[in-house]
This record gives sequence, C-alpha cells and structure tokens, in this order.
Amino acid sequence: MNKKLLLWGGWGITLLTILGIGVTLLPYFWMVSSSLKTGAEVFELPIRWIPQEIQWANFPNALSRGSFGTYFFNSGFVAVVVTAANVLFCSLAGYGLAKFRFPFRELSFRLVLCTLMLPMEIVLVPTFLVVQQLGLVNSYGGLIFPLAVDAFGIFLMRQFIRDLPDSLIEAARLDGCSEFGIFWRIILPNCKPALGALALLSFRDNWDQFLWPYIVAASDALKTFPLGLAQMEGIDSAAYHEIMALAVMGMIPMAILFLFFQRAFVRGIALSGLKE
Amino acid sequence: MPRTHGVVKAEAAVAGGLPRLRHWTAWPWSLSRRNRLCLAGFFFVLPALIHIAAFKFYPLLQAFQLSFYRYDLMSPPVFNGLANYQGLWENPLFHQSFWVSAKYMFGVSIPEWFLALGLALLLNRAMPGRSFIRLAYFFPIAMSQIVVAMVWKFMYHPYGLVNTILEFFGAGRINWLSTEETALPALIAIGIWRGIPLFGVIYLAGLQAIPRDYYEAAMIDGAGAFQRFVHITIPLLLPTILFVMVISLLSAVKVFLNPLVMTGGGPSGTTRVLPYFIYETGFTYFRMGEAAAASTVLFVFVFALTLILLRLLRRGGVQ
Repeated sequence: MNKKLLLWGGWGITLLTILGIGVTLLPYFWMVSSSLKTGAEVFELPIRWIPQEIQWANFPNALSRGSFGTYFFNSGFVAVVVTAANVLFCSLAGYGLAKFRFPFRELSFRLVLCTLMLPMEIVLVPTFLVVQQLGLVNSYGGLIFPLAVDAFGIFLMRQFIRDLPDSLIEAARLDGCSEFGIFWRIILPNCKPALGALALLSFRDNWDQFLWPYIVAASDALKTFPLGLAQMEGIDSAAYHEIMALAVMGMIPMAILFLFFQRAFVRGIALSGLKE
Repeated sequence: MPRTHGVVKAEAAVAGGLPRLRHWTAWPWSLSRRNRLCLAGFFFVLPALIHIAAFKFYPLLQAFQLSFYRYDLMSPPVFNGLANYQGLWENPLFHQSFWVSAKYMFGVSIPEWFLALGLALLLNRAMPGRSFIRLAYFFPIAMSQIVVAMVWKFMYHPYGLVNTILEFFGAGRINWLSTEETALPALIAIGIWRGIPLFGVIYLAGLQAIPRDYYEAAMIDGAGAFQRFVHITIPLLLPTILFVMVISLLSAVKVFLNPLVMTGGGPSGTTRVLPYFIYETGFTYFRMGEAAAASTVLFVFVFALTLILLRLLRRGGVQ
C-alpha cells in the first residue's frame, strides 16, 4: 500500500517537473519559433509550433528597421565598461571591508547595504538631476558613471574575501609586499570564482540596461539595444516576427554566456544570497 | 629577489638578526603598523564610498530638499513649503499608485516565497537528468528584462499564445493588457514567473548547506518526511527564507520596466506603480518638486518596510 503510494508520488513529481520546465521555457521557445515565421504565420490558428519554412530573412529585415549596429555597440560598450568598473571597485571595497579594521567600517558597510534600498528605479529623478548638474546628460559618461559601483557586488566580494585565510595576507606583508600589491597579486588571483560570478551578473544587468539610458540618452547615437527593441513597437506594432527576431538577437550573448558559465551564474546568486 | 634596504638591515641587526614586523615598505613611514592598516583599509573602500555618496545619498538628500520647491527644469526652483506633499495627499492618482504598488509587491512576492521553495526542494532531490533539469530551470536567470517584456507582450496579445491556449481549454478571449481587471494580474504573473528560478537558486544553496547527518539521524529515530521537513529543513533554512522575503519585496517594489513597456501604466492607471507615477510626474509633466516629494515618500516606505523585515531577519537568525 505504502509502496504504491510512493510510486504514484514519484510519477507525480516527475510530471510536475516536466510541466514546470514547460512553463519556464515555453515563452523562450515561442519567441525563437516566432522569429523564424512569416508575419501571417505568427497569429495562425491552430497554433503552428514550428514554422513551415524557416524565415532567416527576418533577422536582416529587423536589423534594417533602426541603427541596430549602433545600439548593439552601445549596449556592449556600456556593459563592458560598467562590468570592469564594478569588478575593480567592488573587489577593492570588498577587500577593505572584509580584512581591515578602521573607524566607521561598520558604518561604511551599513551605508553600502542601505543603497540596496535605493535602486535606480526609486532614485531615478534625483539621479537624473545630479547627472544634469555634472553636465553629463546625453553622453557615455552619463550612461556609465551612475552604474559603476553596485552594492550587491561589494556584498558578494566581501562575503568571499572574508573566507580567505588571513595568513595569506600576513605572509605577503612580511615578504614586503605593498598593501595594493597584496590586493593585486594575492587577493585577486584567489577570488577568481567570485570575480567571475560578479562579472557575469554585472554584464547581464548592464547589457540589459533600459531605464537609465531611456532617461539619460536623448540622441539616437547613444541608445542601447533594449531601447531600440522597445521602440520597434512604435515603428510597426504588427511586425511581431521581426520584433521577436530582434529579441532573439538580444538574448543570444547572454544565452551563450549562461551555457558556458552556468555554474558561475548560480554560484554568484547563491553567494550574494548567503546571509552573513 | 626580495628588495633590501639599509634601514631594514640596521633594524634587523638591532633586533638580533630577525627582521622586525614593521617593514620598511610601510607607507606612510611614520605611522604605526596599526594606523597604517587602518588607512590602507579605508583607501580600499574609499572609491566605492565616494560613488555611493555622489550617486545615491547626495541625490537622495537633494530630492528631499527639492521636495519643498516648485521646479520645472527650466526656471529656477521656487520654495513652496509643504505644498508638494499636500498635493500628493490630495491627488487620487497618487493614492491609486500607492495601492497598485502594494498589490503588485505582495501579489508577486508571496507566491514566490512558496513556489521558489517548492522548486528548490524539487531540484534538491536525486533524480535522473538532474543537471539538465537544473539547466532548464535556471536558464531564465540569464535573460534580460526587456526581452521578457517583449515576449510576454506578444503572448498577451488578443490573438497571442496565452489566449490560444486558454481557448483550447474553453475560455474566451481576453485583451489581457487593456482590460482594467486583468492588466495588473497579467503583470504579476510575469513577475512571479521571472522570480521563481532566481529565488530557487538562493533556496537551493541554503538547502545544500544543511548537513546530511541531521536527516540521517532523524531517519534513524523514525521521523517521517514531513516531520523532517518541519523540524530540520524549516528551522535551518529560516535565515535564507527571511532573506528571500526581504529581497523579493525589494525587487518587486521597484518594478517599472514592465508597466512602462507593456501597458504604459494603463488602463486607467491600474498598472501605474509608484516608480511609474514618479517618472510621469517628473519627466512627462516636469513637476520635479512633486516627483521629488513622491520619491521621498516611496523611499520612506521602502526604508520602513526593510527595517521591519531586517528586525524579523535578526530575530530569525538568533533562533
């Protein structure tokens, strides 16, 4: 009796797992499938899951609807610079907070954590005013500076560096290594896993930057890919096959990164999620 | 080849051949080792602190100041006391936005707490193809918000996939994003769908940190699966659970992109969340002072909420 119940339970769980995967991935499948259809096939009934004839032409057609070369470059550029800045400043700060004692250290850490409550969505208007005072509206500087340090990154690096043995640092110090040298030659090489995770998460977030460029980039030459994708709708709201083609192109860099570095992604999120 | 220096040699000679702890590379020379380390640590943190001060706290303070002024970006700000706050208090749209935000926040995060835990428990089991299953579930973590927004807008189209599937089960067509009753639930569904894998990863890390021995010992004592869950998993996972609660609420309160791209805050303001209200007041109507006042209110709300949750977190961590 009990065995039978267990068997059914096992089947139930398997079924649930498959159903869950379906719900999780269906939108992505539908996006890829639609990006390869003709405009008429997209809303065809009954549902056409696989396009009758694969329409590769959707991709060049979609790209010609705007200066997408520029948008992709801008997104890539902003994402790379912001990621590099994040990795550098967050690991510096993480090291300082993890391994040194100085007055107001706890306060500094509290302030860093406080900024988790101040995401761009909430301080949008004030941040814009500051960037305006700095004369950075509609410039790469304006796109990049406000994003260059992220509290989550500091938190993540601090958690990781704190677990490195102090003896490592003391040994280097006795060998006459300068404080920055210790950071550069001892700490950084020893936290590659955390740095990788931070770089991936930061690249994802900033490749995806929509809101801040939407406010601060007025000219077409500064628009990022997400802005270009969103404005496609205004150009031709019926061209869903082309919009989906653009969405697929925007997804590809992250999909490749994820498939190669899945473990680093998961570790990064898990690391920033571990409490104290 | 370690660098040598006369001072070190002299010191070493004095100390009887052993190099002193305080090394000549010590910078600044005159400071004691302790003070020098203090300073070094401070300098490591300084760039981040400057950034935070310039782009987080200064804007916040400035917004607070600006909330007592009338300012349209063109003419200089004019002091008008509490008029902005009074305007918000009397503005029915602000009240509406507040409730829309609250509904969205709890509508998204409460289901997430349970469903993400369910997912983590599922993925923590030994089953064939587990690494592939994990890959499939965690894939959405890498996906960008804007792609998600466009795909779902496409799926919520009156002739889109959602309606087609519901029709198959005998339901009627609904124009999800332009019907007052369905627009917010449609956005909430996306939020939940997107959050589950993310919080699932965090829960899973928490579950894997629980030592196996505890379960084995409980099994020897004859505890059933449910008892093990209640008496081992839940108490040991409590810090993670509370962390997920805080983070999920914070990430739900800042939702902005989906309403902006998918519904434009409509229909009739039913999806105009607070960040959207602030954006509209500031950048569409150029009432920067009022937008700053609304920002301040939103921040106080978020701050109070986090404080309450952190207190809970601490209490949970102590247990």
